[in-house]
Amino acid sequence: MSDLIQYSIYILLLPLLSFGLQIFFGKKLPRKGDFIATALIAGALVLSLLVAGSVLGQENFQQEWNFTWANLGTMEMKLGILLDNITAVMLVVVTAISFLVHLFSIGYMAGEPRYEQYFGYLGIFTFSMLGIVLANNLFAIYCFWELVGLSSYLLIGFYLERDSAAAAQKKAFMLNRVGDIGFWIGILMLFAQFQTFNYQEIYQNIADGKFTWGEEWLTVAGVLLFMGCVGKSAQFPLHTWLPDAMEGPTPVSALIHAATMVAAGVYLLARVFVILTPDALAIIAVIGAVTAFFAATIAITQNDIKRVLAYSTLSQLGYMVMGMGVGAFAAALFHLVTHAFFKAGLFLGSGSVIHALHHEQDMRYMGGLMKKMPITFATFTICLFALAGLPLFTGFLSKDAILAGAVGYANVEGSWAIVIPVLGFSAALLTPFYMGRQWFMVFFGENRANQKLATTNNHHHHEHSDQHHGEVHESAPVMTIPLIVLAIMSCFFVFSLNPLDGEKSWFMNVVKTPETKVGVPKEGLQGAAQVFSAIGGGKPIETEETQHSAMAYFNDLRQQKLAEETHRAHTTVVSLSISLALAGLVLAFLAYSKNIGSIASPFVMLSKMMSWFNDTFMEGAFVKGTGNLGVKLSSFSGGFDKLVVDGLVNLTATLAQIIGLVFRKLQTGRVQTYIALLLIAVVGYFFAKLV
Amino acid sequence: MPEIGLNHYLVLSAILFSLGLFGIMTRRNAVVVLMGVELILNAANLNLVAFSKYNGTMSGVMFSMFGIVLAAAEAAVALAIVLNIYATFKTVDVGEIDTMRE
Repeated sequence: MSDLIQYSIYILLLPLLSFGLQIFFGKKLPRKGDFIATALIAGALVLSLLVAGSVLGQENFQQEWNFTWANLGTMEMKLGILLDNITAVMLVVVTAISFLVHLFSIGYMAGEPRYEQYFGYLGIFTFSMLGIVLANNLFAIYCFWELVGLSSYLLIGFYLERDSAAAAQKKAFMLNRVGDIGFWIGILMLFAQFQTFNYQEIYQNIADGKFTWGEEWLTVAGVLLFMGCVGKSAQFPLHTWLPDAMEGPTPVSALIHAATMVAAGVYLLARVFVILTPDALAIIAVIGAVTAFFAATIAITQNDIKRVLAYSTLSQLGYMVMGMGVGAFAAALFHLVTHAFFKAGLFLGSGSVIHALHHEQDMRYMGGLMKKMPITFATFTICLFALAGLPLFTGFLSKDAILAGAVGYANVEGSWAIVIPVLGFSAALLTPFYMGRQWFMVFFGENRANQKLATTNNHHHHEHSDQHHGEVHESAPVMTIPLIVLAIMSCFFVFSLNPLDGEKSWFMNVVKTPETKVGVPKEGLQGAAQVFSAIGGGKPIETEETQHSAMAYFNDLRQQKLAEETHRAHTTVVSLSISLALAGLVLAFLAYSKNIGSIASPFVMLSKMMSWFNDTFMEGAFVKGTGNLGVKLSSFSGGFDKLVVDGLVNLTATLAQIIGLVFRKLQTGRVQTYIALLLIAVVGYFFAKLV
Repeated sequence: MPEIGLNHYLVLSAILFSLGLFGIMTRRNAVVVLMGVELILNAANLNLVAFSKYNGTMSGVMFSMFGIVLAAAEAAVALAIVLNIYATFKTVDVGEIDTMRE
């Protein structure tokens, strides 16, 4: 086991130690263990930086380590760690954000009940997320996947006393499970073919053409694996849990539902990217683009500060998934990393605001906080500009790379695929619009808190927000320092020395789109030969043996073509996205700061239309539908049970009764009858003997 | 007139047996049923003695001695039962005694 692998194991286990300490000894630790938990995560962060430093310096680094977990005779179950460029980057991201969230929570959650349990749950979440990142096989990632779902459940429902929190935690877990069913079936399909869960072995098997069921089934397997991503990363249609997950404490929303857990789905896509067929990738791209667009529309009419950010996260996750689907692998992961930082910054910033306003979350009653909370304002603004996609910030670099990939994809795939960049650019316009709206509502203008008092009932229970209604002041350093760090991470120089061009960043050099391992698309070999010569001036296909490698070669060419088109589209995309970002902010300014209603109303209408996609649709289509189906099925099987099963039993009994009725007549109770019968029997016997 | 042979005794015995059986199966009075039983027993005895004479052994005779004794004992017991039946059912009509039916 190499040193780096050993460090990785420590990184994995330190948060687990934090969990153990907090859960079992939390109440007895000094300060209920918050510093200890934070220190453990800081240790993991330091180790992650060390690991990343060594790994990213080397080209094409890959190290794997296995141990046999169970030997079942015919099969060995191995678990292990795969250390890769992607892994190293994700380690840093997860531990960094977890550390900052721990730090922030010391300030935010002070005085809350079950404080020590909270840090314990953060610990097990970090452990599970790191497990997902480090796993080298599908089975291990599935186990940690479920653990992450559990941690999310525990943390969303942290405020046990609230019914809405309980409902939200159940919803999150349920929808996640639905996705996981698909995920598990996909895993089992691959296992049935190859008898292994290990990524590298599966890649090798598919590259060698050992997938015997045909490409359609490989597409199905790919889409099923994607289902796990749909559940975990809240894509349409399994997205409705994410806005409700805002019931959890704000630092939890920052950690789990913005930066890391929801990114696990994208990470999974990164791991299985090489075995996704072009059809599967097309489906993924469409779902991602649709999610990106419609979530952005719904965000426009949300009034809760956290819900806007939740829908924004949905939208950005759609971007990442779309990026994966169009083949912009490195761009999607780049966006994952940048999004983690600026979205966590936005959530923690909103947490700072919420805390300062004594848990007021409705943006209609905020305003004028720019002067009163300068640090929060500055960091929130920086992260906001990053999200909106303004140049000089990291969000621009990564989003731009994805959009370029989308345009390239549309150029390669032709006709229908134009819808993907269209949706992507529309979302790119809407994102700065709703974020601008949030910006203006929260920080500018007059403070509207007294509007709330005017609109609520006099004998309504005001809670302690009324008594403390004094000065609003900036949050404590333990809360502002994470904000500052995250804001710095959202500035361009962290990733690229060129503020305008994402392709020059070190990230894109370190993480490269891997070569696909899958064969040719549906046109078949003849079609492939034609396209072959059209694209690459390719060689003619000679024998059966070269056919499969020709297919893989064709797919590589397709990837190269995608990369070329992406590069060519780059400048157009850059200018388009900058102008959209600025346009969005300007429109938001006009609509919400100057209150020009006519500008706001078309957006609001669009938003209300799209809201239909949300709970109403889900409830109508899936919940009611399955409910009715369940009732019909149960009434059918109930009828079957009563009629057929009970009927058979009753029939047997009736038959016995009838036979009995007949034979009862023999029992007359009179001796003479019996003697007569006896005589008949004896005579009959002798006759039979004679005959 | 032909010689009286074994067959004549056997036929007589069979006729007596049948008459006894008829009596048992048909008559309604319990005492008459018992008379039929006696007829059957006597028919059997007659059969045994006839075979004994025409085979020249004594075993048939011995058997029928036992048979007579047992018939007597059995008649006594049977009449006692009939008395009890009369005490319970107030009738000796065997057709009326059917409380053991289904």
